[in-house]
Amino acid sequence: MKDTGLGWSTIRLATIVVCLFMFAPVAVVMLLSFNSSQFGSFPMEGLSLRWFVELWHNDAIVRAFQTSLVLGALTSMISTTIGVLASMAMVRYDFPGKRLVSTALVAPILVPEVVLAVALLLFLQFLSVPKSFPLLLAGHVIFTLPFVVLVVQARLVGIRREYEDAARSLGANPLQTFREVTLPLMLPAVLAGMLFSFTISFDDITGTLFWKPGGVETVPTQIFAMLRNSISPEINALGTVMVLITVALPLTGAALARRLAARMRGR
Amino acid sequence: MDESTRYERLLARYRDGDIDRRTFLKMLGLAGMAAGLAGGPFGLLTPREAKAAVEQVRFDGWGGVVSEAFREYAFKPYTKATGIEVVDGTFGGADEYLARVRASQPGEFNIAHLSGVFDYARYDGLGLSTTLDEDNIPNLKLVIETLQKPFRRITDGRLSAVPYDYGTTGIAYNRKYVSDEEARDKGAKLLIDERFKDKIGGWSEWKTRIWYAALQTGQDPNDIEDMDAVWDAVRQHRDLALKYWSSGAELMSLLGEEEIYVTEGWSGRIRALQDQGHDIGYLDPPGGLAWQECLFVIKGSPMAACEELLNFMLEPEVAIAVAEGQNYPPALNPKKVDLGEKVPTLPAFDPSGTLASLNFFDPAYWNDHEGQWSKTFGRVQRGY
Amino acid sequence: MTATARGDRRPWVLLTPALTAVTLLLVIPACFIVVYSFWLRTGTGAEQAGFYLDNWREVLTDPFYRDILGQTLRIAGISTLVCALLGYMPAYFIAYTRFRHRAYLLLLLMLPFWISYIIRTMSWISILGVSGAVNALLQWLGIIDEPLQMLYNEPSVILGLVHFLLPFMILNIYVSLDGIDRSLTDAAKSLGCTGWQAFREVTLPLSLPGLAAGCLLCFVLGAGTYITPMILGGPTDAMFANLVYEAIITQLNWPLGSALSLVLLALLGGLVAIYTRYLGIDQIAKSFR
Repeated sequence: MKDTGLGWSTIRLATIVVCLFMFAPVAVVMLLSFNSSQFGSFPMEGLSLRWFVELWHNDAIVRAFQTSLVLGALTSMISTTIGVLASMAMVRYDFPGKRLVSTALVAPILVPEVVLAVALLLFLQFLSVPKSFPLLLAGHVIFTLPFVVLVVQARLVGIRREYEDAARSLGANPLQTFREVTLPLMLPAVLAGMLFSFTISFDDITGTLFWKPGGVETVPTQIFAMLRNSISPEINALGTVMVLITVALPLTGAALARRLAARMRGR
Repeated sequence: MDESTRYERLLARYRDGDIDRRTFLKMLGLAGMAAGLAGGPFGLLTPREAKAAVEQVRFDGWGGVVSEAFREYAFKPYTKATGIEVVDGTFGGADEYLARVRASQPGEFNIAHLSGVFDYARYDGLGLSTTLDEDNIPNLKLVIETLQKPFRRITDGRLSAVPYDYGTTGIAYNRKYVSDEEARDKGAKLLIDERFKDKIGGWSEWKTRIWYAALQTGQDPNDIEDMDAVWDAVRQHRDLALKYWSSGAELMSLLGEEEIYVTEGWSGRIRALQDQGHDIGYLDPPGGLAWQECLFVIKGSPMAACEELLNFMLEPEVAIAVAEGQNYPPALNPKKVDLGEKVPTLPAFDPSGTLASLNFFDPAYWNDHEGQWSKTFGRVQRGY
Repeated sequence: MTATARGDRRPWVLLTPALTAVTLLLVIPACFIVVYSFWLRTGTGAEQAGFYLDNWREVLTDPFYRDILGQTLRIAGISTLVCALLGYMPAYFIAYTRFRHRAYLLLLLMLPFWISYIIRTMSWISILGVSGAVNALLQWLGIIDEPLQMLYNEPSVILGLVHFLLPFMILNIYVSLDGIDRSLTDAAKSLGCTGWQAFREVTLPLSLPGLAAGCLLCFVLGAGTYITPMILGGPTDAMFANLVYEAIITQLNWPLGSALSLVLLALLGGLVAIYTRYLGIDQIAKSFR
């Protein structure tokens, strides 16, 4: 199917509809972050930037945001590295007990998170290990791992062994083969895995609630603690900022690259 | 926690007969191993408070305005005066917090902003209570006596917590659809009025549900005789209700956006809605439910440091700032302290300082039935 | 393709970090759950150690748990199916579009995740609630006089779940579609296949690993969630994870909560076993040989 024809138009239409569905809550949150009142009744009563101002001055939320970013980034790096290695083993080799290993790798998402959280705490209590940031990180790695493994495996299966064999027959050592052939071929899956693990870690509540050491708060736990009274629209403003960063950064990056390229050509 | 305190704690447990000799030795070994791990490459990543654990107090409470007020008015001056750092954490619910405390090591959590005498009794029942040296908390003299009494009754005259604020769970109604007279006439029965089918809400908490069902069936909630009638009333409410809410934020958005017209609600949250211009009425019906919150010191905490912090937190300016933030009156006696302009206007506020008009959960009664009733409610709310 | 002699140590080297993590952080703690499930909760909430079968008897014989389990599987199943139906076409679009920054489209799909889960779920009240955007629009257009009641029922729980799960489905399908050698479809067409036939005979089967992985993820995540039913469901819309959460957090009945979660674990584990056996990596890898 090419970019033409009835089939393709249907697909494009379906994609647009799904996108609308996906972005509806995002749109609402962004709209409400400019709302002068605290609640989301439509039609809105007035526009204001006060929530952004308050967000800027709210140390607790800004700190939580930084923690979430660092935690998410570290989680995605570690979990993707471990996950890619494991996926290579699973797809490229046959070994006894493979099915068991395969189940074990997905197991972290099979246990309800609240149980996993309490069980891990009991274990630590037994060992008398205090809670710490590395522990929180380890917890996040363990339950983002299945996402990475699943997505990378699905991709690796499709990469034909012949490419690697060809590289090797041309004299590349295994490491070179991996770097020059395998890795580029599975890059989309690696990126997807990183994106997955970052997002899951960034958005996790239950596990974080239990594992966080004193003084460490992530954005979700901050929000959770606000639930009793009321969630401040500053959180909406934070969401808007995040969305704008995600949308704007790559766009400006691309624009800059284009301009740079144009100038180079002009010379 | 450094090495020696960990060792001392294990030793104490061994001496108390908490663990046997073999376990003790095993845990010593494991603790040593873990310390080695923690001190290795991970040690670099450990947050500073874990290392500089010379003197610090861990406080856990509700986030948002409440914790901002505490940080600004109590923790900063406290740290300045004593050099002791306050590490503050948050929780989203009292139950979730207790689960965490139970799975932690002694001394990890120190002071918590807990709800209810019921929770106080629960912590005491789990062996987590302490004895405060009241001489170290001069501000305790400003606290309403009535609020201290139930705590002292549970812990034999001692206190393991200081009362901090109180509120009611009354009936909230949208005045567009329900007149004040109708609300007053019907009282608790407003919540099971067929007229509002699918416009009724309720807190998904078993104690509150049972309390109001007892009122609806004309019984004393602290001495229920016909439990079957109570469950039937709970079921009746469930079938008429659109939604059980589980947090103040949800309560406010449900009422504020007119998803529901009547529900029981927390006084401070309804006040916040009214402040935002929503036309919501609030009524404490006869026999209506009041509750109090306390600052509880958990077993294994550095007592002197905690007592001093409690004293800071009970300073009128701190208590008033927190009260204005969350819209619940402070536990300070209005006859002894000038509470400013806003506090006397808060719902549930009692100017007499006696709280004689309010009804609280009888902790012994409710704790006795906790296991059975909370489980039964778990089923009833799902349609059984 | 996976021809390796027995006793080869290379796969184990590759697996060591992952297996160490899983063992330390999952398997050993899980043993605690198993032990706990045989204990008893006493009146005060403390546990009594020992070997009691009470929790298991209750969990396995009480129709209440069976009903909720059935409801959970139904809701998770429907959500997964909806995700697969809704997710395939966008994934196909992203994989085959000529738009240069395709990876960027993926990033955009994750946008809703930057808005925290609770906020995102609660924002449906502002969209579908009686004073929400949809009702306001319909009333303004004069299509309805009274606002429609769309929330707090099973469909709204499914809606919330689909919204949460859809990106996982799309990403998984995309990744496998993107890995398909384009020359295969071209070959099929040159042999006289129509576009649709080429899709059905070549592309769809080759994208099955991704679809299967996506379905597995969606089902498992859907069955394990408790926040969505809590916020978007009516009083009776509960899932099994809500019961686990209540037993552990509200009732502090850790032994019962452990038994409940082991039931859920066994069920989902069985599903994964079926997946690895019939749809899993091994099976699909073989079809490539």
